[in-house]
Amino acid sequence: MAVNRATRKILIVDDESESAILRTVRRRLEQEGWHTAIVRPDPNSPTAKALLGDEFEAAALWSIEEQLPDAILLDVRFGDHRDDRFKGLSILDHIVNRWPKLPVLMFTQYVQGPDREAAARGALKWDAPIDFIDKLAGADEVVLRLRRLIGAAPETITIGGGITLDTAAQTIYIEQNGDRRPITGIQGMKFEILRELAAAWYRSPGELVPFSRLERYSEGEDPRASLRVRIREIKTSLGQALGTRLGPSELILNIRDKGYRLTPPRP
Amino acid sequence: MKIHPPPKILQPAKIAAAAAIAAGIACLALAPVIGAAAFTSLWGIEPLSYIGGILLIAGLTAAVLAYAAQNNATPAEQNRHWIETTRQFFEVFDHDLGRPLRRIAGKERELRAALQAAGEPENPAVRELLDEIERQTPNFRLMLSNIQVLVQLQAPGAAPAAAPVEPSEVVRRIADRYTPVAAEADKEITWWAEPADFGMVASDSHAIEHIVTNLVDNAVSHASNSVQVSLSKDNAQFYVTVWDDGPGIAPHYLDHLFDRGWTPEVGRREEKTSSGLGLFIARTLARRCNGEVTVESIAAPQPNHHTTFQLALPLKAQ
Repeated sequence: MAVNRATRKILIVDDESESAILRTVRRRLEQEGWHTAIVRPDPNSPTAKALLGDEFEAAALWSIEEQLPDAILLDVRFGDHRDDRFKGLSILDHIVNRWPKLPVLMFTQYVQGPDREAAARGALKWDAPIDFIDKLAGADEVVLRLRRLIGAAPETITIGGGITLDTAAQTIYIEQNGDRRPITGIQGMKFEILRELAAAWYRSPGELVPFSRLERYSEGEDPRASLRVRIREIKTSLGQALGTRLGPSELILNIRDKGYRLTPPRP
Repeated sequence: MKIHPPPKILQPAKIAAAAAIAAGIACLALAPVIGAAAFTSLWGIEPLSYIGGILLIAGLTAAVLAYAAQNNATPAEQNRHWIETTRQFFEVFDHDLGRPLRRIAGKERELRAALQAAGEPENPAVRELLDEIERQTPNFRLMLSNIQVLVQLQAPGAAPAAAPVEPSEVVRRIADRYTPVAAEADKEITWWAEPADFGMVASDSHAIEHIVTNLVDNAVSHASNSVQVSLSKDNAQFYVTVWDDGPGIAPHYLDHLFDRGWTPEVGRREEKTSSGLGLFIARTLARRCNGEVTVESIAAPQPNHHTTFQLALPLKAQ
């Protein structure tokens, strides 16, 4: 498998980092190929007798300085003490002031509520990459938010069903039974079309790519017809490589008069 | 906007009124005794009687006004107090209910991952249980925010907040949240914005998110295969359209759709399976933001049966 040039590192600042929800999120982040690190307050530090939030604040700022993560998962609430209710927002304030470009995903307890409103206002005020998500969110949702916060499209996108796009090598690979081979039939414009579809799917699995965006990769009097032909060829090539025939709503879905969308085979 | 004087003024006003009444009565009582001594020239009767009378009337008027004002203020005050208490209750309830729910959801996801890693043959009953827990999670999230919005909607004079919002980001989040839920049931969610580079609007992002979540939640549960969410705009408004290919809604039900507490089961006199608050809240919230939620549906057995809900909101909130 092609090695990602830079492995992302996500720093987790949460007093419940050992909870089942956080463990699942961590596992999912590592599946994504990202490293995770957890902030733990130093039990011997002079602030160890202070509020839980204060301990985490000191430890978090120190860890950022030391580890330079690509993004931070930050809890809003630390412990049950009244003064720690919005401690995460005060930590956020420090982060934004010192590292204004560092993406922060805030974990909120409430579905809606004062902490979330404060975080939303803060994000607007600072114009910093801040987003918020509630703790009942699934690990996939957390990953999608982080992908968008971090912003960069990866060099390789694995869309499932053993299909991987390598944008650096401009090649599509299929992996079956441990055997990985390139698909030679999808190159040039056809590769670009699939790359557009995969990039949209990577950002948000349900996102449609409109014709206006795809027609730049087609030619002739009737660009939409030429696009249709290319999509059919892509599906034929991938179908052959996978040893099946892909039906009209499989892999690439057409929404009439609007555009196309990737629907990768489910595991 | 404050129609009623705050209670801080009422208390001194009542004391002053009582003092004036007491002084007036004292003057009237003392007039025959010391009136002649206190004032050298007598008019018709002692001036003290005049003074006492005036004080009595002024005191009584002040007292009546103070009590009237208090009686007027009481319902509003009580209402505000009630709303504040409800909001605090809700926060406690959200926190206390949210914690066990997160634990259950977390354990479920962990167990699922552990079972997958172990590669053990799956027990269908276990799988069914895990799926059910996972399916209910978005319901809990929506339920909690529905209750909270309902509390907020009762607050008098609560104005919608207008701030810069990117509607495509709001729609994207909701689609991301419901995509796995839909996939569990073999349904697809597709979303897009027209134009693709949709830009910002000035609106209430909580309201948009809340309304669209309710519409998408409905669509996902009623769709046969496909849900489509699209964003569009004209010169004055932007629209979020939620389409599903479900069996549709019979014309005689359409009128009741936005009634508080109405569900299709109510129409069929069956037991309710949901609160019937989602669409009521969606429309109330949309109207408060100077917008509207509308519905259009073709019911099965007609061939192209579907339901379309549309949220329209002003591009710039007043």
